[in-house]
Amino acid sequence: MELLDRYLQAVKKHLPWQRQDDIVAELRANLEAQLEDKEADLGRPLTKEEAEKWLKQIGPPIQVAARYQRQQYLIGPAVFPTYCFVLRLVLVWATVLSAIANAVDIVVNNLGGEGVLRAALRLPETWLISVALVTLVFAVIELTCAGFPEKVHGLGLITEPMTASWTPLDLPPVGSSSGDRAKPQSFTRAALEVFASCVGFAWLLLVPHYPYLLFGPGAWYLQSLPYQLAPVWSTFYWILILMNALELAWRIADLARGAWHRPPNRARHLAMHALSLVPLSVLLAAPNHVLFLLKNPAADAAAHGATVASANKGVFLAVSIIVAIVILQLIWGVGRSILDEYRRRAAAR
Amino acid sequence: MTLTENLFENLRLELRRGCLTLAVLAQLKEEHYGYTLRKALAGRGMEIDESTLYPLLRRLEAQGLLTSEWREEEKRNKRFYRLSSDGEQIFTRLLDEWSAINTSINNLL
Repeated sequence: MELLDRYLQAVKKHLPWQRQDDIVAELRANLEAQLEDKEADLGRPLTKEEAEKWLKQIGPPIQVAARYQRQQYLIGPAVFPTYCFVLRLVLVWATVLSAIANAVDIVVNNLGGEGVLRAALRLPETWLISVALVTLVFAVIELTCAGFPEKVHGLGLITEPMTASWTPLDLPPVGSSSGDRAKPQSFTRAALEVFASCVGFAWLLLVPHYPYLLFGPGAWYLQSLPYQLAPVWSTFYWILILMNALELAWRIADLARGAWHRPPNRARHLAMHALSLVPLSVLLAAPNHVLFLLKNPAADAAAHGATVASANKGVFLAVSIIVAIVILQLIWGVGRSILDEYRRRAAAR
Repeated sequence: MTLTENLFENLRLELRRGCLTLAVLAQLKEEHYGYTLRKALAGRGMEIDESTLYPLLRRLEAQGLLTSEWREEEKRNKRFYRLSSDGEQIFTRLLDEWSAINTSINNLL
């Protein structure tokens, strides 16, 4: 039958080349036997329409051939949970690192709003590359797993994700991921924290008068150097004192009004986090990015001018990176608060 | 097809998938080639499409559960399949499993 020959030829085209003759021969034998039965029942050969209907019922050649192929996934069910986990991690870290790099670039090169826009437009490209790379690596892993299942099973890492080494003891304590459900703290702990904060505050107040409290014996060596701190550090220091005083007052007030047992307040934590940007911004706003000066510029400029310039550039860059990290942490914290609030309201509905 | 019918069809296919293997292994205690196997299964109420059954035979053979040989019958070369010794063992165990599931479901109903 010519139509059956054409059908089998079409199926053959989509079969794996090593087995196509064998499979087509078997399929031909089965279909011809079926055809003979049909024709014996009818007492005549099938008409063209009947043959067409019969072959249509068996299915399109490409689908019939596909059933003979080994089931192959780009990323199969065994590897998929690990793939999702790694992809999430990579996307978060790619975003964080890209944001830090761009923030530093914007601050150091003074790129302003245009720089922010460019950085935002570059973000999808970063995500796309991250997804492509992770997918490529996991597709190779999947291919290897499919090709050498026994060897890969021996490794037992990727095909059995988080199963072999998993134990319930590794699970985090209940509520540790949510500030709202954190365990209330005891009076002893709250009192100890206030005491430690008082000691820390006193230490901070004494440091300018007794530098060895910060630098140890190195303080005398630093005094002999031809460098000194720029006036901007004084502003930075007093803002730091103010912030610590505020935090300490808050803690003492909590202790005095018996509110020590309350779980840490996320809004307060975020507010303090945002406030920490103030002293850092003071350093960033230092005129001409000058954070260190020469004690005697006229005499030491030739010998130590380059060192001071290099130190100013390095410290300014470090402060820029810290500011970028703090801002990202703040965005993360605010985002999580909004998400938790949304979940809480959804659960209450 | 409505959403409910579609869901039912998916669940039905999922339920049948495992049973098909069991039915094929059961029927291949006797030697068959593809078409006669399909007819024998249909005769006992287990209809299977050609495009499902013939590739399934290949897979079961590749897994060592079936053996096959090409032989001429009625002037035509055909590939005959039957249960291998490994296949017999697996079939017995699968049958026990199926009986246990069947009993459990009956107890639940």
